[in-house]
Amino acid sequence: MTAAADRAALFPTCLGDLITPEVVQHAETALRACGFIVDGVRTGTCCGQPAFNSGFHPQARRVARRTMRALADTDGPIVVPSGSCAAMMRRQWRELFAGDRDAALARGVGVRVIELTAALAPRAEKLDAMHLRWPGRVGYHDSCHMLRELGLHAEPRRVLASVQDLELVPVPSSDRCCGFGGTFSIRYPDVSVAMADSKLDDADAAHLDALVSADPGCIMHLAGRHARTGAGPRLVHIATLLVEAGLR
Amino acid sequence: MITPFAPTELRPGEDVAERFLAEAAAVSATVETAGPDALGAAIVARLREMNAQRVTLTADLDDARHPLFLTLTNADFDVFRYENIADDREAVGALDANVTGCVSAIAATGSIVTGGLAGRAGALIAPNHICVVESTRLVSGLAEFLRGPARAEGISSLSLQSGPSRTADIEKTLVLGVHGPCAVHVILLDGELLEVR
Amino acid sequence: MSTTERPDPLTTSTFEERAAISLAKPFLRQAIPKATDHTVAALRERFANHDYGALREQGRQIRTAAIADLDTHLKEFEAQLRENGVHVHFAADAREARDTIRKIIKTTGGTRVVKMKSMASEEIDLNPALEADGLTVTETDLGEYVVQLDGDRPSHIIAPIIHKTRAEVHESLSKVAGYALPEDPPSLTAFARATLRDAFLEADVGISGVNFGVAETGTICLVSNEGNGRMSTSLPRVHIALMGIERIVPKLDDLAILLPLLSGAGTGQLITTYVSLIKGPRREGEPDGPEEMHLVLLDNGRRALLGTPYQEALHCIRCGACQNVCPVYRQVGGHAYGWVYGGPIGAVLTPLFRGQEDGGELSHATTLCGACDDICPVKIPLHDLLSSLRHDRVTSGNASRTERIAATVWSYAWSHPLTYRLSARVARVGVDLLGRRRAAPPWAAPIERWSRGRALPRPARRPWHRRG
Repeated sequence: MTAAADRAALFPTCLGDLITPEVVQHAETALRACGFIVDGVRTGTCCGQPAFNSGFHPQARRVARRTMRALADTDGPIVVPSGSCAAMMRRQWRELFAGDRDAALARGVGVRVIELTAALAPRAEKLDAMHLRWPGRVGYHDSCHMLRELGLHAEPRRVLASVQDLELVPVPSSDRCCGFGGTFSIRYPDVSVAMADSKLDDADAAHLDALVSADPGCIMHLAGRHARTGAGPRLVHIATLLVEAGLR
Repeated sequence: MITPFAPTELRPGEDVAERFLAEAAAVSATVETAGPDALGAAIVARLREMNAQRVTLTADLDDARHPLFLTLTNADFDVFRYENIADDREAVGALDANVTGCVSAIAATGSIVTGGLAGRAGALIAPNHICVVESTRLVSGLAEFLRGPARAEGISSLSLQSGPSRTADIEKTLVLGVHGPCAVHVILLDGELLEVR
Repeated sequence: MSTTERPDPLTTSTFEERAAISLAKPFLRQAIPKATDHTVAALRERFANHDYGALREQGRQIRTAAIADLDTHLKEFEAQLRENGVHVHFAADAREARDTIRKIIKTTGGTRVVKMKSMASEEIDLNPALEADGLTVTETDLGEYVVQLDGDRPSHIIAPIIHKTRAEVHESLSKVAGYALPEDPPSLTAFARATLRDAFLEADVGISGVNFGVAETGTICLVSNEGNGRMSTSLPRVHIALMGIERIVPKLDDLAILLPLLSGAGTGQLITTYVSLIKGPRREGEPDGPEEMHLVLLDNGRRALLGTPYQEALHCIRCGACQNVCPVYRQVGGHAYGWVYGGPIGAVLTPLFRGQEDGGELSHATTLCGACDDICPVKIPLHDLLSSLRHDRVTSGNASRTERIAATVWSYAWSHPLTYRLSARVARVGVDLLGRRRAAPPWAAPIERWSRGRALPRPARRPWHRRG
């Protein structure tokens, strides 16, 4: 493979950048381990999803435009360590910018967007060779937009399969929404939290050591509830799990 | 095998009668097969099991209705022709069982279809329903039914019935026998109604 | 008429307030997940050996064709119905539908009405209007009967009393009996059967909904499991069917796809226990059936959706599958949605039928998780419709001032890296300050709402853009 084919831009997302920078670093480590030359994008901000999902399209465009332009300056796939942001960029930007002067840019940048595990899974053999080890029972939480809009189900599971002694436990509600839903989580906090409880209770019933996801939003919400009540296992981003398993 | 068509259709090669009896049983109807000579006795036996006394026969039993009327009367049931009492609410409300024929029967769903001469409530009003299905009336699935028998002219209403009436409204507990029959017995007639003596 | 109308939760309370009532009911919190999970599993089992995707696509095509040419099909339907001897009435809105039905009943001189479960009749709030006319109205679906006894509302399209315990049902029915009935569901059902049987036998008028109206043949298709649909349309002298105009299908053959989709998606059944295909009043030579039959076609906001981005909402066949799979419905049940239809389809239909001002909030009563899109038997893009409704809420001026200001300020701040970074620092200080205070100041409402049940995440001291 040529070096150009291995270049990847890493967009941290707002949550990753501001709240969980270590997750972005872990994503960077995982990408490097899989042979990518990583170009971190530091001048973007947010994909605009919170405003878009609240119906504020001009406001969403204002923010997304900044990020889109920052990403336009990069080469190769744009890797996003968040399923829902990746879906927003890949799928909804098109709609958001339809008829806009940046419509072509939105499409052009959007098609380059790839969710982190979708970037890692085709190269998971490299991870297999690293003798990663994480002994314990792990459940995977499919974030809604990653599963239903991007259709990524096998990819995160393939990545987890590269970790030895990790028992991936099927949790029946793995594809049920955790209740985050962006602004939903503050618009209807009680409902949102009730949904988290149901998710965490299911995880407890499965006796998990960790609940893993590829979406920082879901993780922030579930971890926040876990910290408050102690229900459920720890919440771990999939990139972080790889690093905990020994990825360097 | 994943099939491209609806579950209400037969799979290629499936036996129509076999599937019909299996599906009817699956929705809690009781089923049996009888020849024309044995039909009367089969109905008598079943009515006794049902503890039925007041019984109607609907006109869609066709040529078999007269011999069945005699057979049931001789067996000491109170037998009525449905159309003769249909307007008498008290009599209708006091019925124990209805015996009907059918317009059609659908193999893939185990459904019997009544209407026309049997009326609308004729198969429904009593707690027990015995339906006589001539084997020639069987169609494979819902699609064939809708293309054919469902288009019968001159009939104001057809009703597909699959097993006894049911509800799960109270805490999702399945209970058989709400407004329709509590028990449905299907007799697949190996022959035709006009052969019944 | 206004005296007969019941209080309208939609205009007198918020989704959050109504949801809070549901969240405080332990039985509801336990029963709804149990029932809905059970039904979703039954659906998956039903179609396990069939290509559900292909069937849904066929269902979608049938519904698309039906609605795309609604007026043509309605014209054909009406002509067929008239030929079949059915009186056809059009009602532009709820009031007109109620008045039409009241007038029909008045003309017949009947006083006792039996009803089969019908969401359209809930939509037009029919029962109070009939009762105000001095009519005796009896709901005959077991669940709807209990709802009626309790002065309640159904909370699920298919399972109206999914929110009630058997103890509550027992209490309601025992009141009717005048003594304490046994508590088990079979005994309670047997009691209802016996009681409602008299209502059927004595009724002058039967009112039903319509599951599908077949244009080609003028056939009205009704499904039920209890048999009350057939009883309501067999015994009374007059049958009045109330049908939303969108329930039309072009061909009789279309039912070969739509019926298994409706029953499979609704309850997991191969086919509902009863399917009635009614082509008009009793004919010469038939032993029973109504002498007179009326069909009331209800618009009530449906036609206005034609040609809009919301046309696909009219494809709904009212199976309830989107409710069963919805993670929000699962927590709060149907009453929280404040009107007739709950769950994702309710969150779509309520703003559309009741308007953005009254119903707009409901488009937010979902996390946009998309589970409903995946299960809908006619592939209605509920997620996209909800998303568009949120946008319309903003453009129609129904989003709150606070929301608008917050979104705009946020968008300016986050459209430049410097102000974006600065906002993170401010937030960090804010979170720290809040940690020391008891009550959050108004500007911190979102933070307060987040931290009501969850630990507040603290922005990192060194964000990623300043690292490595």
